[in-house]
Amino acid sequence: MFEIFEYDFMQRAFIAGILIATLASISGTFIVLKRYSLMSETLAHSALVGVAVGLVAGFNPLWMAVIVAIIAAWIIEYLRTEFSLYSDAILSILLSGSLAIAIIIVSLGGAFNNSLFSYLFGSILSVSSEDVVTIMIFGSISLMLLVTFSKELYFIAYDEEVAKTSGIRVKLLNFLLVTVVAIIIALSIRVVGSLLIGALMVIPTVSALQYRVGFLNTILISLFIALFSVVAGMTLSFYFSLPSGATIVLCVIIIFITSLIINKK
Amino acid sequence: MPIKFKVPIFDVKNLDFRVRGLNILTSISLEIFNGEYVAIIGPNGGGKTTLIRLLLGLQTPTKGSIKLYGKKIKNFKEWYKIGYVPQRASLVDENFPATVEDIVKMGRVSKRTFLRAMSKEDKNAVQDAMVKMDILNLKNKMVGTLSGGQRQRVMIARALASNPEILILDEPNTGVDMVSQKNFYALLAKLNKEEKITIVFITHDIGVIADDIGRLFTINQKATICNNPKETLSCEDMSELYGIEAHLIHNHKHEH
Repeated sequence: MFEIFEYDFMQRAFIAGILIATLASISGTFIVLKRYSLMSETLAHSALVGVAVGLVAGFNPLWMAVIVAIIAAWIIEYLRTEFSLYSDAILSILLSGSLAIAIIIVSLGGAFNNSLFSYLFGSILSVSSEDVVTIMIFGSISLMLLVTFSKELYFIAYDEEVAKTSGIRVKLLNFLLVTVVAIIIALSIRVVGSLLIGALMVIPTVSALQYRVGFLNTILISLFIALFSVVAGMTLSFYFSLPSGATIVLCVIIIFITSLIINKK
Repeated sequence: MPIKFKVPIFDVKNLDFRVRGLNILTSISLEIFNGEYVAIIGPNGGGKTTLIRLLLGLQTPTKGSIKLYGKKIKNFKEWYKIGYVPQRASLVDENFPATVEDIVKMGRVSKRTFLRAMSKEDKNAVQDAMVKMDILNLKNKMVGTLSGGQRQRVMIARALASNPEILILDEPNTGVDMVSQKNFYALLAKLNKEEKITIVFITHDIGVIADDIGRLFTINQKATICNNPKETLSCEDMSELYGIEAHLIHNHKHEH
């Protein structure tokens, strides 16, 4: 049963996976409540631009993904607040725009190979010790920020204007949230893949919402669902030689459907 | 009644607000003092909500000045003194994961200092606000499952939790039944008299509260102020006092 942990790469994958499940589900609660679900998809594609630059120019792709995702998050938030554009339209434009840039960079640099695919679909085999350390450092900073400002972010998600008139620095905290989300997504693409990370951010929260419980319990249920899906998905992918990201996403979708059925009014 | 020398909570002078060349509000000047009970009435689209949004810094005036407690909005920091219940308050998203207590606790968020958890004082304030609004028994209920009247009380409890000096309510009776409305007006009057909370109330239904209110502002692009809607009072005197053109408004109770 525990032969799975005899391999170093599986140990690293589990550590990375558990960290990412925690980060994605907690930050996901805020973005789902803010109706920002699509943002995770857009940032995941922006992170690919960073990966492309990293692969072509020889920098660490994960670090570059973090940097580019943060820049994209800021552009989205700036466009949303300063121009009267529809949020979902902005997200859609940036999503295809960044994917286009990523493809062009990779194709010009001749890096269209397996290592790019591992970022698209996630690959537990490819998680290095260096990656685990990067995820730990950025992940703990992100988690600390989320926990510190969770009450404020929850209030903003509930009613942005009332939060503002209560003296909460809404603009600053919105930037903080999208920055943290950008970091978490960039870190996640190694394990879950950029095409699939959106699912891990959004579905645990949407499933948890079906139980109609308070804020704290919603976060806890969402966290539990994400952790369970990642552990189950990785174990299944190990024993049945399935791609890790896709298996994790299917696990979380099964939990979502179950939650829907259990809580049907 | 307002005392002339005191610093008003809101001090608005020559306020203009235009959107794409359209005049929404024109040369509005008014003051709201501590302890007052003010009703703002006017037709839909007359600019009532816009005025409140300007007063709270949610929108920026085209011209004129707004001061809160003698300070310009951008320099004003003591937002916990102001409790705001917006128009859509009782129309909460049914799926939002919040218990009644979760919502009321939000009222304390701006008072917390960095990294500090809820103190005893915070917990007491949340408890008091729920007691005042008679929703303590609903504490653990999900907000989405409550009736319109109950939700309205939750929203006000949230505003009260920061121990505000002024409560601003924008059409809070949207989607609330008549019985709840009556209790609600009684409660507002009580908050004003006993808790000394200044109340600014926006409504189109002035008949019900006319007995309690101290002053009445009508907003229809311009402001008309009547300082005593219950008695026949010389508004010309008030025009002089506030520097605004005021028209006499009789007891509106009979109009409904």
